[in-house]
Amino acid sequence: MSVSEPKGAAFQASADLRRGGGISRETTNAIIVFGLSILLILGSRFVSPALGSWSQVLTVLMLASFLIVLSFGQGLVILVGGLDLSIPAVITLGGVLATGWAGGGGDWYVLPAILAICGLVGAFNGFGVTVLKIPPFIMTMATSIILASAALGYTSGTPRGASPAAMTALMKTTWVGIPVVVYFVLLFVLAGWLLQSRTVFGRKLYAIGANDQAARVAGVAIGPVTTQAYVVSAICAGFVGMMLVGYANGATLRMGDNYLLPSIAAVVIGGSSILGGRGSFIGTVGGAVLLTTLGTVIAAIGLEQGWRTVIEGGIIVAALFFMREEFFARLRRPKRS
Amino acid sequence: MMNWKRIRRATMLCTTAAVALAGLVGSAHAEDKKFKIYLSLSYSGNAWQSEAANIVKALAATPPYDKQVELIEVISGTDPQAQISAYESMIEAGADGIVTFPISSTALNRVIKRGCEQGVKFFTYDATVTEPCAYNVSYITAGFGENSAQALVNELGGKGKIFLSRGVPGNSVDKRHTDGAMHIFKQYPGIEIAAEYYSYWDDRTTQQETAKALAAHPDVDGIWAQAGEYGAIQALQDAGTKLVPMTGENSNGFRLALANPDMQAKGLKGVSAGSPPAQSGYAFKLLMEILTGKRELEATNIEYPLPWVPAASVKLCEGETFENGCNAFPDGKVPSSFVTEVFNPELLPELSLLSALEGKPTPGATIQPLPAEIVKAPNEPGINCQNCEPPADLYKLTKIQPTVSP
Repeated sequence: MSVSEPKGAAFQASADLRRGGGISRETTNAIIVFGLSILLILGSRFVSPALGSWSQVLTVLMLASFLIVLSFGQGLVILVGGLDLSIPAVITLGGVLATGWAGGGGDWYVLPAILAICGLVGAFNGFGVTVLKIPPFIMTMATSIILASAALGYTSGTPRGASPAAMTALMKTTWVGIPVVVYFVLLFVLAGWLLQSRTVFGRKLYAIGANDQAARVAGVAIGPVTTQAYVVSAICAGFVGMMLVGYANGATLRMGDNYLLPSIAAVVIGGSSILGGRGSFIGTVGGAVLLTTLGTVIAAIGLEQGWRTVIEGGIIVAALFFMREEFFARLRRPKRS
Repeated sequence: MMNWKRIRRATMLCTTAAVALAGLVGSAHAEDKKFKIYLSLSYSGNAWQSEAANIVKALAATPPYDKQVELIEVISGTDPQAQISAYESMIEAGADGIVTFPISSTALNRVIKRGCEQGVKFFTYDATVTEPCAYNVSYITAGFGENSAQALVNELGGKGKIFLSRGVPGNSVDKRHTDGAMHIFKQYPGIEIAAEYYSYWDDRTTQQETAKALAAHPDVDGIWAQAGEYGAIQALQDAGTKLVPMTGENSNGFRLALANPDMQAKGLKGVSAGSPPAQSGYAFKLLMEILTGKRELEATNIEYPLPWVPAASVKLCEGETFENGCNAFPDGKVPSSFVTEVFNPELLPELSLLSALEGKPTPGATIQPLPAEIVKAPNEPGINCQNCEPPADLYKLTKIQPTVSP
């Protein structure tokens, strides 16, 4: 096994995971990003004495919840070697429909119906990528443009209505002193991890991303499985739109714009390969938490906006440096010999 | 370099084609002497931008303008280059006037000058340009920053930890507001700026950035905010502690909160001021009066009055527009992000909620003449003029007096 063969390394890592023995690259990655987050939170006491507290942890988890749900979907698409640029537009779609159709009340089936519509958008993405063979980058960008224009036309620019009661309950209530959304995120992470790492569907995604020719020979239905990844991503994005509506009590047309790059960054910082076939959801969750913690701590430093962004970028580069292939190869070597 | 040129040419061709096509469709059913007027937006998508555009559309469809105007809307995005191309195409298509929200105060000057030379009248609203042949219609010189800062200082008794929730980094409007505010805050050594963050004039971003700042400074005493202020209130409520005095712009949610006795009891005080979407309607009517020969006016900078609504002055509207001195709408009638200052009983009596939300004319309304007098705006270098001197009393207070001495 040589470090100059990333595909081979990916197979080795996946094999480790399947055997369940040894510390896999994915696990080490997740431990590192979570460790960095905890260090940042503890270290932030030096920045401001009010930081490093339990309430800061809750703030971080609350703000990270959007990114965690989003990057699960984005992670699946990246896992099969794609990229979903339609996320901001689908967030807006979910938010605008939720306020428009279920603002304040609405029947119980309205929110699931909206998620189903978002799922159709994902299916459209998947259809374009797998059947029409349009590169994912272009296909999802086109979907994004179409959706954004449709939303502008539908709302005349001003989305009406307020947050559906269910989303207000999710985002604004607490249970035993902890926001309900934090419990939700824990359940979501568990379910997402099971789906990605412990189901046949998940294994097929890894197989397609690592080598689609081999996966085809092995009998994986490439088209339908890939499409399902886009569907899950769109449903996640639509749900984040609803969460944002519950958080801020209203929708706007550009509400998703700030989430595209962070959704990709969380996946990559979490140790997934941007080329597909490698990564774990737990790592991605760590990436999302790390990015959000970083934002909170940097916001507390009384620096000019320019410098804050420089520091934020610098820490991300440093984090990725420690997750390089060589670094892991060195960590693993003693175990192998 | 080659590539860039090619892209630019392609963009220009595309925009020209689109504008020409729009013109073709329009002229098919146009009557003989309609003025061709373009509404040029840089971007659309927040409540403020769409309300400003909607009221121009509504006015253009209100008699007698419906027979006199052919209005074509073009949205070019946040890139100055795209708006330059759009202006070029409008000039080529024979525009009589362009009502526009300019994305940059300087980047568009050259194409505007070229348009003026061909007889096109340029009216900017809210944001401004420094090209002297354009008419700037804006509240920006009316002192939002310094007046709201003084109001906050008064509420805080001259001391306390505050947050600054700013707009878009590098934008001339954000800079003008913040410079005005800092002029006041610097006079009070007891005022400590605990956190300063960019909220992009957006509720949701304001809420998240304020939540981050609150994690580090839960003991904040006040917030000075630009647009997006409703998000700051929600962040305070999420943190669950107390509310604090704050100033912000004109969202319906903020005005309702200021007038809410429960929130007042928790510590919310302050004033709602800032950018009114109604500027676009005023600019459009001025342009029309000039084109139809009802008004003689050389290109100049025109100041739109600063809305100023302290908590005690919030009054709910029972109908569909501002009447009897009301200035906010009941919960549920409009979204909380709705910018209330879309109406002006004196300058724009033709408008109703239908106009602001959907761009449709108010049934039965006809265009009323504007007051003859305009208010000239003072010079502000880099904002509405180049190589000019600002007045010595640039940051003088106009809406409020200090109640605490520094």
